Amino acid sequence: MRLIPTEIETLWTLFTAPVVWVAHFLVCYIGAAVYCAKPELVGLSFSAVRAGIAAATVIALSLIALSAWLAWRQWGFGTDDPPHDNPTRRDRTLFQGFATLLLSGLSFIAVIFTAMPALFLTECIR
Amino acid sequence: MSAAMKEGSREEYRAQEERLRAVWANPAGWRYWTSVNNFQIGLWYGSAAFAFMLFAGALALLMRLQLAVPDNDFVSADFFNQAFTLHGTVMMFLFAVPIFEAVAIFLLPAMLGAREMPFPRLGAFSFWSFFLGGIFVCGSIFFNAAPSAGWFMYPPLATDKEFSGIGADIWLLGLSFIEVASIAAAVELIVGIMKCRAPGMRINLMPLFAWYLLIVAGMILFAFPPLIAGDLLFEMERMFDWPFFDVARGGDPLLWQHLFWIFGHPEVYIIFLPAIALMAMIVPTFSQRPIVGYSWIVLAAVGTGFLSFGLWVHHMFATGLPQISLAFFSAASEAVAIPTGVQIFVFIATMLAGRVILSTPMLFGAGGLAIFVIGGLTGVMVALAPFDWQAHDTYFVVAHLHYVLIGGMLFPVVAGLYYYYPLIDAKKLSDRLGGLAFWLMFCGFNIAFFPMHLSGLRGMPRRVFTYPAEIGWNWLNLISTAGAFIFAAGVLVVVFDVLRPKHREPRGEFNPWNAGTLEWISEPEENWGVRSIPIVRSRYPLWDQKDLARKVNEGRYYLPDAEEGWREGLVTSVLDAEPIHVLRVGGTSHVTIVSALSLGGAFIALTFHWWIATALAAIICFCAVVYWLWTGTGEIPEKPEKDVGLGLSLPLYASGPDSVGWWAMFITMVGDGTAFASLVFGYFFYWTIHADFTAGIAGPDAIWSLVAATLFAAAWGLMVAARTVNRRGATAIMRGLLVLSLLTTVAASAAGLAAPSSPGMDPTRHVYPAIVWTLVIWVLAHAALGTVMQTYCLARSLAGRLTPKHDMDLSNVVLYWHFLLVTAVITFATIGLFPAAM
Amino acid sequence: MGQYFSLSAASLLLASGSAGAQSVASTQSVLEPAGAEAQQIAILFWVMLSGGALIWLGVVGLLLHSALFNRRRLAEKSASRIIFWGGVVFPSVTLSALLAYALWLMPGLRPFAQASAAGLRIEVTGRQFWWEVVYRPAQGPPVASANEVRLPVGERVELTLKSADVIHSFWIPPLGGKMDMIPGRTNRLSLMATKAGIFRGPCAEYCGTSHALMAFSAVAIEPEAFRSWLAAQAIPAEGAGASGGALFLRHGCGSCHFVAGTDARGLIGPDLSHLGSRVTVGAGILPNTEDAVARFIARPELIKPGSRMPAFDMLPPDDIRAIAAWLKGLQ
Repeated sequence: MRLIPTEIETLWTLFTAPVVWVAHFLVCYIGAAVYCAKPELVGLSFSAVRAGIAAATVIALSLIALSAWLAWRQWGFGTDDPPHDNPTRRDRTLFQGFATLLLSGLSFIAVIFTAMPALFLTECIR
Repeated sequence: MSAAMKEGSREEYRAQEERLRAVWANPAGWRYWTSVNNFQIGLWYGSAAFAFMLFAGALALLMRLQLAVPDNDFVSADFFNQAFTLHGTVMMFLFAVPIFEAVAIFLLPAMLGAREMPFPRLGAFSFWSFFLGGIFVCGSIFFNAAPSAGWFMYPPLATDKEFSGIGADIWLLGLSFIEVASIAAAVELIVGIMKCRAPGMRINLMPLFAWYLLIVAGMILFAFPPLIAGDLLFEMERMFDWPFFDVARGGDPLLWQHLFWIFGHPEVYIIFLPAIALMAMIVPTFSQRPIVGYSWIVLAAVGTGFLSFGLWVHHMFATGLPQISLAFFSAASEAVAIPTGVQIFVFIATMLAGRVILSTPMLFGAGGLAIFVIGGLTGVMVALAPFDWQAHDTYFVVAHLHYVLIGGMLFPVVAGLYYYYPLIDAKKLSDRLGGLAFWLMFCGFNIAFFPMHLSGLRGMPRRVFTYPAEIGWNWLNLISTAGAFIFAAGVLVVVFDVLRPKHREPRGEFNPWNAGTLEWISEPEENWGVRSIPIVRSRYPLWDQKDLARKVNEGRYYLPDAEEGWREGLVTSVLDAEPIHVLRVGGTSHVTIVSALSLGGAFIALTFHWWIATALAAIICFCAVVYWLWTGTGEIPEKPEKDVGLGLSLPLYASGPDSVGWWAMFITMVGDGTAFASLVFGYFFYWTIHADFTAGIAGPDAIWSLVAATLFAAAWGLMVAARTVNRRGATAIMRGLLVLSLLTTVAASAAGLAAPSSPGMDPTRHVYPAIVWTLVIWVLAHAALGTVMQTYCLARSLAGRLTPKHDMDLSNVVLYWHFLLVTAVITFATIGLFPAAM
Repeated sequence: MGQYFSLSAASLLLASGSAGAQSVASTQSVLEPAGAEAQQIAILFWVMLSGGALIWLGVVGLLLHSALFNRRRLAEKSASRIIFWGGVVFPSVTLSALLAYALWLMPGLRPFAQASAAGLRIEVTGRQFWWEVVYRPAQGPPVASANEVRLPVGERVELTLKSADVIHSFWIPPLGGKMDMIPGRTNRLSLMATKAGIFRGPCAEYCGTSHALMAFSAVAIEPEAFRSWLAAQAIPAEGAGASGGALFLRHGCGSCHFVAGTDARGLIGPDLSHLGSRVTVGAGILPNTEDAVARFIARPELIKPGSRMPAFDMLPPDDIRAIAAWLKGLQ
């Protein structure tokens, strides 16, 4: 993890996990929609689509876990409790870390939710 | 300050105050309306939005009268249909979204300790656009010409001239115009929140209202453009017969539904989040403690913002899409309930950890939450596709959405009105009237809307102008109508409380609720926002920083003076709010009204196909905007730096990412890129629904497409080179490169035009040529705008307003070209290569 | 038998209509299911309703407690715990269970593995503001009708849904969920009635001026009765009083309407071959009486604004009455 420096000074890291959710959601939705519209193009069975969704889910969850770990590190591994409201750079960083960690948690749950349809639906019925 | 100054400091203080007051003063007489001050704009915006709300509410009462008894003929079917279409449209586009823009423009500068929004004239432009567009759309019903196809305007009912008249055009053009205003407001809000906070207001200290609005403005950037793209396709079909939604020629009505709801569902949260943001300001004040779970609120706002884009198909559960697609959207729709739950529990936790003062704002807030929770729970129900197959398009959904929007938006907004009214008038609204209004509204609302759950489950569809007596809806509807009038009475009490003359009452106290946030420093009598720009060290500076208010008002902080006669504010860094430079913003001007009204004129004339008037208005608008930019932006200051007080000296000019203009361009182009992406989505959508989406029509010429893409890339390279050499001082070479790039752009556009026209693609024949032409026209229009920008830079350079050190214009135009390059390459790669690859 | 049933059904509807609202309140209700799909969804609803009511009471109780009775300032840490358990853990667990339940229901609610699995296919096409209906039984010729859908109880029926103009939506609340009818697309819906009865099906997607007046009757009857009814519908009916039939043709009604066994071969308006046997006229909005038919012929736009049918009130009243009587007789 030394590859990713501890001090990333940007607001954008906050959005990492939700962006992974977006990507996962789009891959699942577009993949399934294109498959159901043009099955002959892909030429695979629906179980391949489900396997694809499973793979995308594993990748997305790993990325979110990574984002969560980085956030945890930025949060100082939880050594300080919120509210992180001191007017210092340190508290600002801790706040960023904590908020990013929370968002990673939400995104993790949301990715699992998004993947659940593939467990129950086994064909392109309308 | 030297010791000698100290003796004269009292006079010096008065002189400073006078200069500052003069600079920020509103113009007198009729010129008052040319003001661009955020307090004025916010107030006008808010009042206009409220007036539109009352109008739409009156339409709702007429509808409720019609539905009071079965087989009623109080109004005609056609009037009823116009009424519900306008009711939805006005509440959504002319009340719910604008009211939050109004509140934000009014409150944000004061809350962030800034003097003004970063682009006050843009704010004024946004208001005038909104106002004119709103009058135009609402007025149509008095000429029996209002849109009548529902606020969602589904084709073919709304596109086919056989089924709908000019009302559809009024809806499309009037609202496109208002959407432009919303995007302008979003740009202003994002830049304002990211770059214009008071020094020291790090992102962990930002008021929660600002956090919410930052997210909401971001959502607008991704939500409104798909609708604008949809409007474009829609109006091309109505005006020029391009068959985007005509099934006979390969079109599909479902594309509109996708584009509309990609906008439409985030829209709900765009409405809901700012109202909850008001709650996040009110709850801590009346719990007498800082909010518990600040980071949780950030999680909730950001999480909702993202998840809300994965919900749109839940409005299309009955359209026959594959079940797996529906299921993804069911899943995301369930997931979005989690951040919403977090928000509610943050308020409960804060109240539990504090000591609650029961006040009128809290009454409305808590009542709103009780209502909203019902709406949220029914939302969880209808988000499940199987239940929605039954509930969709019934009164159950009518009940659900009103529980969400009135509980989650209207009640908090009224709470906000009671809370913030002292900032408008220095007096409180009446607690007695407030209590009366609350109980009338709360009871009336539940009496009106709770029975609708049941009428919906008993099978009553939405948007019916009448119903037969035998089905068992009679009592339910009669009760709903009675409730609606009780609710309306409550709203009228609020209106009366606001409008009743209060000049006999004494001026209220300073910070009457003992709130902790900065906006309570500002005095309604003064226009400058803050007397001096403070250094912030807390989330609740008025609670934690002793004497802050006094010191601010004594001008002890930054920029207490306006020596050079400019309206000035500070630009600070995104994360830690360290001062970067001084921002001089535009003051009172006619140009905003002229450009808004001429743009409005162009849209209105277009509705009636008055081509010459359209062209004239467009030309006036163009000239006004160029004049506005030329005289009001990128001014080279008389000196490089100025002393802002407290021993700090800051530059007066910034270019690139340090400047607010660069951010405005970046944000605008993100929105623009989203609209473009929506058109590309349309292209591939048609590919998925047809076995052969080209319908055997010869596609764009691949060679010309590649030539166009290459030339656009070359023009972009020349622009980047021009910026680089200009910074090195080679002005003449820069001008040469600009001209060269302009010529290359023209050549690129010609090649781009040749791509679809050389095989003779006719856009009215089939949807394939139509969507190809739309993409090409999109690029060409952007290229044309690009050449205008190049010419502008050239002119600025020749006029000495663009120099090696002062290159803001050029740097912003290069940023535009980055986006143009991506747009052009994607377009020509798609239209030129994709059909062959398939 | 079939004709007998439809008559008794019509009289039942009329009788209850005059008797008061309660007796037929169930005809369009989601909460009184008479079909397999609607049954499952109703159970889902009751589960969600009871859970939702408990949650609402809990949240509002907590809200009231914190606003009115809380005199003990909770420590920040315990308050944060409330956010975590109440705002994150509880909803996540409840919602994933609910989502799993709904997803598990989905494939079973709209099952069509194979098109041929259903014995009977009914094609319904939405038009402003009425329904064109064609029965395609596994054996035998197709049977055309309008504004009424009959289904055999206990058998799965596949509906093929189309639109000829704008978007409509097909919905029989007591039988199951709705499905849109979209121009250029063919949607399918599978329903199985479990109880006999007459239900009202409204158009559930706003489709223009008289959207409120676009409905149909769904009549679920025993399979045997259904088959004999269908057989009877395949044969041209005899109208009462030949003069009405002649007037019908002379005044040009046949250029828009189809009546089997006559020269009326128009395809623009509803098929009237067996109008007399239907529960309602005017697409689910009027009782099927001679008087109602006559009123519709004279001034359709009074009854249904935006209707495409021209007014025929310039005809002598006697002619209109004769035509109405003849149509009513087309059992």
